[in-house]
Amino acid sequence: MVHALEKIQRLLKPGGFLIDIHPTTEPASIAVRLNQRIMPAGWISESDDYVEYGWADDALARVLESGLFALEQRGTFEFVWHADSLADLRAYLKEEWRDAVIDDVTAMRIEDLLRSPERAKEVTVIEKIGIARYRKM
Amino acid sequence: MTVRTDPEDTETSALHDFADFTGRRVLEIGCGDGRLTWRYADRAAHVTAIDPDADDIATALEDCPPALRDRVEFQVTRLEDFAPPQELFDIALLSWSL
Repeated sequence: MVHALEKIQRLLKPGGFLIDIHPTTEPASIAVRLNQRIMPAGWISESDDYVEYGWADDALARVLESGLFALEQRGTFEFVWHADSLADLRAYLKEEWRDAVIDDVTAMRIEDLLRSPERAKEVTVIEKIGIARYRKM
Repeated sequence: MTVRTDPEDTETSALHDFADFTGRRVLEIGCGDGRLTWRYADRAAHVTAIDPDADDIATALEDCPPALRDRVEFQVTRLEDFAPPQELFDIALLSWSL
């Protein structure tokens, strides 16, 4: 990862900058929305990628220390997926987020909540995403 | 299968809070199917978007809006194999790919 950041630094003009967007190491939460009520249901388990995001943070810290980049701005935002059913969410994760796991307890809670009588309901996955701007030095 | 991805556009809002793409030369690394590319490319002077997944790039090429075809260039490549162009970039964007 450090090598990638070193190459990016060489590809930038003087004064250019890098925008990095990647999930934080905080697991994504799952909730069920029933009309306007948000009911927490559990978490997405995803050991491999959460470790990788920590490595990404370490690599960025190293290039800052080495003076290749200077941090100018950092923040977070919430990225949300909305699914009509647990089956839809699982099918999506199988295609797009292959190491994501919804454990049995969380799945049962989602299904229980979706059986409630409210007409407007959906499953949401909320992931906290980090975004930062690094100026080429 | 119905799954809506970031319909609130929080990612786009954050991206534009952190960078002004107007008239800039942009290198997007890990562009995938172009999901994020379409959200800023209309402001950029030129975008080179790379990803090692040929299927994703094929999807991006199919989905590329006609108005962006003259300014967005997709390449199937990993960053380590990417050949630097003559003119360097103003902005590098690592989209969920570090």
